[in-house]
Amino acid sequence: MRRIAFLFLAAASLLDVALGATRPRYGGTLRVMLQSAPNSLELLADGTPVDYWDAARILAMLADNLVEIDGAGHAQPALALTWQSDLNGKRWQFTLRRGVKFHDGSAASAAAIAQILGERHSDWTVRGAGDSLTIESDSPMSSLLAELALPRNTILKRTANALPVGTGAFRVTDFQSGKLLKLAANEESWAGRPFVDAVEVELGRSQRDQAIALELGKTDLIEVSPQATAANGTQRVRTSLSVELMALVFPANSKAQDVRVREALSFAIDRKPIQSVLLKGAGEPTASILPNWMTGYSRVFPAQANLQRAKVVLTDSRQPALTLSYDPRDPQAQLIAERIALNAREIGITLQVLLSGIADVSLIRIVLPSSDPATSLREAARELGLQQPLIHGSSVDDLYQAERTLLDGHTVIPLFHLPVASAAGARVRNWQPGPTGNWNLSDVWLEADSR
Amino acid sequence: MGWLASFFLATAFIPSLVSASILGDAARQLAHRIASVTGPGAIALDITNRSSLDDKSVRELRSALEAQLRTEGVRTANADESMGSVQVTLSESIREYVWSAEIVIGSDERGVVLVSAPRAQAGAVPASAMPLLLRKSFLFTQQQPILDAALVEMSGGPRLLLLDASQVAVYRQQGGRWEQEASLTITHSRTFPRDLRGRLLLLRRDHLFDVHLPGTVCRSSATPPLTLACNDSDDPWPLTTDDGGVRAFFAPARNFFTGALSPGIGKVSNGPSFYSAAALPRSGYTLWTLAAVDGSIHMLDGMTDQVIRGAKWGSQLAAVHSSCGTGMQLLVSENGDPEQDSVRAFEIPDRDPVAVSSPAEFDGPIMVLWTDGSGNGAIAIVKRQDTGWYEAYRISISCGS
Repeated sequence: MRRIAFLFLAAASLLDVALGATRPRYGGTLRVMLQSAPNSLELLADGTPVDYWDAARILAMLADNLVEIDGAGHAQPALALTWQSDLNGKRWQFTLRRGVKFHDGSAASAAAIAQILGERHSDWTVRGAGDSLTIESDSPMSSLLAELALPRNTILKRTANALPVGTGAFRVTDFQSGKLLKLAANEESWAGRPFVDAVEVELGRSQRDQAIALELGKTDLIEVSPQATAANGTQRVRTSLSVELMALVFPANSKAQDVRVREALSFAIDRKPIQSVLLKGAGEPTASILPNWMTGYSRVFPAQANLQRAKVVLTDSRQPALTLSYDPRDPQAQLIAERIALNAREIGITLQVLLSGIADVSLIRIVLPSSDPATSLREAARELGLQQPLIHGSSVDDLYQAERTLLDGHTVIPLFHLPVASAAGARVRNWQPGPTGNWNLSDVWLEADSR
Repeated sequence: MGWLASFFLATAFIPSLVSASILGDAARQLAHRIASVTGPGAIALDITNRSSLDDKSVRELRSALEAQLRTEGVRTANADESMGSVQVTLSESIREYVWSAEIVIGSDERGVVLVSAPRAQAGAVPASAMPLLLRKSFLFTQQQPILDAALVEMSGGPRLLLLDASQVAVYRQQGGRWEQEASLTITHSRTFPRDLRGRLLLLRRDHLFDVHLPGTVCRSSATPPLTLACNDSDDPWPLTTDDGGVRAFFAPARNFFTGALSPGIGKVSNGPSFYSAAALPRSGYTLWTLAAVDGSIHMLDGMTDQVIRGAKWGSQLAAVHSSCGTGMQLLVSENGDPEQDSVRAFEIPDRDPVAVSSPAEFDGPIMVLWTDGSGNGAIAIVKRQDTGWYEAYRISISCGS
């Protein structure tokens, strides 16, 4: 049995509280504003990236996963302390942390966690006994740890009115659908009580409203556009690594059935000016699904426009008039779609930009949810409507070949990798959003109003 | 020729923070894979560095790659003398170095080969130069948070005891290095707070040391082989290194002392909640200085409680004996830039603190400052900003000019 992780000092990463020159202080209410206005506290199947981040950040306060993935992409203990798998990765065994309780006081036992995970994954056989949990599958699960660290695999139950009951640092005290979420510190948190007493999350607030509220000191933590310039003295902006992909996607019934048309369009799009002007320098132009920080090879996929090559590819092909839709909820999408239409016209392809709906090609933005590249590639394939990639091994070459295969048919044209950003007010201390866009609010503390 | 290239790879190609053998292997693999696509002959080789490797490393890599290609029958030449071109890009992901080679043979035949090599973990960085009055001696570094450290003389030579959340590790000096000799596990039934603090107090009445952690106390055996027995306990922690001094109750789920004292300071048995305290003996009484949770400094003489606000001191205080000045100084972590914290010595001749040293600077926040077992120095634990590792120092005071 291959030993994947050995007894790790479980508390270590959780106790790793970076301080300023003074120790963290307990108390106070952290005020947060988010854009999305959910009617339920869960990940939405058809949500936007903003919906995803907001739900993931809320769930991370309420619940834990079996493992976490750190900034370097390595699994770290959370509810599970140790784990090991058999040689082919079909059977995994986890040793769980003892004494952990859900917010309702019930034990987060192996049996309870097995039931939660088993209900979510019909293709897994999940068993729990004592402090041991096993997950089995008919097919190898080489990326199981990264999968278990995804927000969709947070370990939580639901109350009768569907509110989440987790093991996290905060518990729900009030939820007003689409408006307000109030959380209180979980005194029994297995990782130690969080420093703030409460968190109040105002939902459905536009980025502009959030920025004004932060400026006026009426909130502590907001989402900002990655284009926002940093720090005006009262706030600190933190930008993640690139964790979103903007791409063109051709559905199966697209009129662009000729691969040459799709390939030519990929050569014709001049990504750099769009990134410089419309995205105000945020993100990176790309022709790969996964960003370079995940794989190291994204530059092998050339992202430079090449009109000459595009025209050569189009030789002797029929060029139908196509429609291009964009998501109106995405503030930059319309201008980018119109610019792409201009690029297409230069090689003789007509793209009519539509507000939304069924089109021959869609401009979409998806989340790359894991720092584990194989997991993100699988998630991206699912979001983009591609076949699941076949990743034959764990080498960078295996990953490259799988991504190359996904892109070969040009049914997806990657355009930009984009970060997410957030800003905190001056009284927020030890705010260290993760490089992959996650927040860790349980280690945040608030400066006393007066000293 | 092959052994020569291997020798070169193993000895000359040593970029900063990177294992030569690991990258040497990767270079060898890359050359082999390029050669398997091109076959023997001449190629135009171009290398672009988009990684954190420095220029010197890239030059060495280029030499190494060319040498290894030659062993594979591939030589580098100008484009017009070549059968094709190879564009090597040195890149990196968050985990590893990734080197790609885009190979073009003839007019349009293009292949891509990739190899990777693990990125080295940033290692420990030695201590910086000493300032004049505060002498800081580097003791140890590790990735896990260090809560306290102590040097102790035992049979067979000095030992370094390191306290973290899960153990007291015992290190013995071997050939100029600390080698781990034993690990004494800390057991606890109560959940530790996030900002965990702990105290290692040496040379107790009938045993070697005590460990105080929130809600937990551990006692070592008296003689080797050392053992450690831990129990739930809300008993107060000693505030001084001697066994019979003032003790203070520590909030078991927080990171501070509650302010309740037993025995008290003179007539004062309840002070403010505080992070740290230091005692400065005076003729006839002891002046206690407390770094309170609200950021203020309290001075208690057993009768009065004088509050100083806006002192810009941090949360950490420790009293240290010296042969200079009044013979007892207060070491204080300063409340400045968290990326470069510092400790400075103060004396309190009357009731106002006076700085008596220049600051001893550290490359990260000072997480811990406890008076050491001898009383002649303090243990400082620093979390380096660049590596995230924890470093233990002993700070003492010398009477330099």
